[in-house]
Amino acid sequence: MATTLTAELTPELTPDFTAASHNLSVEQISRPSLSYWEDAWIRLKKNTRAIISLYIVIFLALFTLAGPLVWQVDPSLQDLNQISQAPSWPKTALLAAPYERWQPIILDDFPSEPDTFPDVIPAPDGLQTIGLATTQQIRLRWNPVVGAGGYSIYRNNHLPEGLNDLGLPLATTMGGNEISYEDRLNLEARKYYYSVVPTDGIDEGDKYVTLEVIPTIAITRAEATARGLISAASDLPEGASLTLHFHPFGTDYLGRDMLARLMEGARVSLFIGICAPFLFVLIGILYGGFAGYFGGQLDSTLMRFADFVVALPFLLFMILFKIAFGIGPGESGIIPMLIALVLLSWPGTARLVRGQVLQIRNNGYIDAARLLGAKNSYLVLRHILPNTMGVILVSLTFAVPGAIFTEAFLSFIGMGVAPPTPSWGSMCNEGVKTMLSHPHELIFPATFISVTVLAFNLLGDGLTEALDSRMRSR
Amino acid sequence: MRSCLAAILLCLPCLGMAQTEVTSADFASQTITIALNQEPPQLNGMKATDQVSIFTLGHVMEGLTRYDRRGNIVPGVAERWEVTDTEATFWLRKNARWSDGSAVTADDFITAWQNVLKPATASEYAFILYPLLHGEAINKGELDPAELGVKALDEHTLHIRFERPTGYFEKLVAFVTYFPVKGEFLAAKGSRYGADATDLLYNGPFMITDWVHSASLHMVKNTHYWDRENITLNAINADYITADTRARLNLFIDGKIVHTSLDGETYKDALAQKLRIRRFTTGSVFYLEYNFRAGRVTNNINLRRAIQHVFDPDEMVNKVLATPGNLPGKSLFPVWLNGKTDKFRQEYRPQEASLDLVLAREYLEKARIELGVEQIPPLVLLVGDSPTAAKQAEYMQGVLKAKLGLDLKIDVQTFKQRLAKMTAGDFDIVAAGWGPDFDDVMTFGDLFTSWNMNNRGRYSNPEYDKWVRIAMNSADVTVRMDAMGKLQQILFDDAVILPQYEQGVIYLMHPNLRGVVRRVVGADPDFTHAQVLEKGD
Repeated sequence: MATTLTAELTPELTPDFTAASHNLSVEQISRPSLSYWEDAWIRLKKNTRAIISLYIVIFLALFTLAGPLVWQVDPSLQDLNQISQAPSWPKTALLAAPYERWQPIILDDFPSEPDTFPDVIPAPDGLQTIGLATTQQIRLRWNPVVGAGGYSIYRNNHLPEGLNDLGLPLATTMGGNEISYEDRLNLEARKYYYSVVPTDGIDEGDKYVTLEVIPTIAITRAEATARGLISAASDLPEGASLTLHFHPFGTDYLGRDMLARLMEGARVSLFIGICAPFLFVLIGILYGGFAGYFGGQLDSTLMRFADFVVALPFLLFMILFKIAFGIGPGESGIIPMLIALVLLSWPGTARLVRGQVLQIRNNGYIDAARLLGAKNSYLVLRHILPNTMGVILVSLTFAVPGAIFTEAFLSFIGMGVAPPTPSWGSMCNEGVKTMLSHPHELIFPATFISVTVLAFNLLGDGLTEALDSRMRSR
Repeated sequence: MRSCLAAILLCLPCLGMAQTEVTSADFASQTITIALNQEPPQLNGMKATDQVSIFTLGHVMEGLTRYDRRGNIVPGVAERWEVTDTEATFWLRKNARWSDGSAVTADDFITAWQNVLKPATASEYAFILYPLLHGEAINKGELDPAELGVKALDEHTLHIRFERPTGYFEKLVAFVTYFPVKGEFLAAKGSRYGADATDLLYNGPFMITDWVHSASLHMVKNTHYWDRENITLNAINADYITADTRARLNLFIDGKIVHTSLDGETYKDALAQKLRIRRFTTGSVFYLEYNFRAGRVTNNINLRRAIQHVFDPDEMVNKVLATPGNLPGKSLFPVWLNGKTDKFRQEYRPQEASLDLVLAREYLEKARIELGVEQIPPLVLLVGDSPTAAKQAEYMQGVLKAKLGLDLKIDVQTFKQRLAKMTAGDFDIVAAGWGPDFDDVMTFGDLFTSWNMNNRGRYSNPEYDKWVRIAMNSADVTVRMDAMGKLQQILFDDAVILPQYEQGVIYLMHPNLRGVVRRVVGADPDFTHAQVLEKGD
């Protein structure tokens, strides 16, 4: 009966809700727990400038370490056929006959010295080149002039506008009957304007004649063999064209490949620029942290010693180390430079870290941690060091360009790298001398220094922001 | 404030106008303005050694002979002369006068020469008077100056006896140290002699009227000079004293001076300014000198020969120095030296080492075996601290490394320090140079004798010494030149030095100035016979 009743009462009843399932996921932490470093990395990634800088630093590391494997060119190999070449595509050259000394044309039936000193000596006519004008040699001859006691030969890069604009005085022939000249002075494949001015044996006249010459690039068989362009047994005929070595970044004042030198130079510059700051910042952290953490009498003693080190002259120590290490003239001074930098540059970082540590160790959470039984090492590693990281990184990133510049300066005064080893700094110093005529010799190393310094600075900025716990809420 | 500005603005055009009227070479007054590199340290001709002093004295004084425009010896105070193996006689012109109007006499030369040789004078150039009989002994204090083999036959005849035959004596007497000094005047002035414009008597084409120390030095035509008719310039004013090539270039561009030298940096500016650049060979020879002291690897002849056969002076001059005027070095004796009748180098052509890599490597291998080493140790190349010196050194380093596999360490030092290291022998190879004192092969030839203190590598070869002695003790030009030819051959065979280049300089000269002579020896530049032309265009 009862069951029937129940059955009667319930047939139409269907629940209009479902029971909530027992789900614990709301109590789970939705995002993964981040460590200090993971958090810093996420925030660093949001900083575009810092990430670009990071890529640049990675590129520099590759350029320095892997570059020489890809670009296998000897950075100290001199190619005097291609001096101070601007960056360009590979050039072709004619295979020229071996150079033979040219006997100047001296007329026997013409007086060498004039009998009189005429006021006006006419310009010679018939100025022409003899043979093919190449970058090996340009040979000129002209017709003799009555009354001349010699001829001056000038060369200019533009059409002379007058007597004062003839250009470089190449030579003066010693007699009125010597009517030829061979120019081999640093010839490039460009347009030259040769002018010939007759002299009375002492003074030059006022009349001149100008010839335009464009030499073709040429290389002798011996030079081509020495550069490895052809094999010694090659029977390539003279006049055949060869492709010269490719110098994508151009060459320097002795025809050395700029790209290879930049890679080689990067090793020195980045070695000093990174090793020295890392080492002295590390010393500074330990020293400053120790002084700041223990404080009191120990602190003031240690900091007075730091003040003393600041007062030591860097250059003097550099020289002393050089002598102490038995490094003679013409040898690289990189190791003494590194040691001098490390031994004399740490007090700056030590002071910063000490100040920071002094401030942090008086905070309430340090006392709390100590009361809970934290040991010194735990306090330092967990609480103090991470909070000083900002300061440390700033000082590190500012030290990198400082060290690179120090190396550049010391190489300039001959205390740094010894030639032929390049460094970016020494390359800049050499490039400055020819800044107006061959700017690429300065621009490339200078750009590399600037970009490196900027990249380290921006990366340092980004790291500071990322690592500073107080900036986390922002 | 505003009025001030207006005043300045008004002044500016005036300054501009004033500037164009100042001219460094004035036609009407025949006056030129020049700049000196430095204050003349010494206008006492008996003691002068430097270029500026020699330049100034060359204009205000005159010796027995002088050089003409073409560099030939012509009569100076002496009208004519006779030189034999043992003695020389000079006949002085009667109209040669000091600037006080008194005559230049034979005694004035004797006074000067005795004073130069007196040990108390401590003249650095005293050795140049050693050809005179007893000259060296007097200089060493062994004999009294009165013993000097020079006497005045009469007021205008000077007779000289030689210690040894000196075939080039008429060239020597054109040098500053041989200039005359008036005895009474010297006695009156004492140590003040040559210290100021009024403390000097002049017998040259010009005389100093006004000398403001470290600021300016004015010379005017000497009205007592015997050849005054042929001197066109009335005054040479050295209104600027600076060695700064850039400052001097600016002065030249502003039309303040008539002459300045250019270096590797300033010549490009001069080209850009469209100034006419001139070129001159200084007569100095630059070379690498080896260290011959015991224990040095450079003492090995085969090592030196190996280097000789890979070095190309043409390449060095054309590609590395790359400024015009330098000549490839082929010998210690430069091209301009005179020989018997022609130039020395035409008569005695120096042997040139072939550029032969195979031969060079053979020599190197021999050297390695003789030295008994596995690998020849790095050589130290001592160089000066100029940018070009560093560039040349790097070039040598590259050549030796690429062709011979030799390592070269470059030791860059300042001038003084380099000299100290050269004297101490603290180098394997040193980049050195030598400029002539007088116009004769001997000024170069005796450089590598065992007794010469300028032989820094201590090269010692009895054969070399022998030929120098033969040349010294002969007045026969053929004997002397043959001996020098032998020296040139010894220098090559022994690879004593590696000649690199003969130095050239480039400079600017006022376009209206004519007749200025650049000299290898003596006063350079020589304005004596210069004249200012009327402005053309």
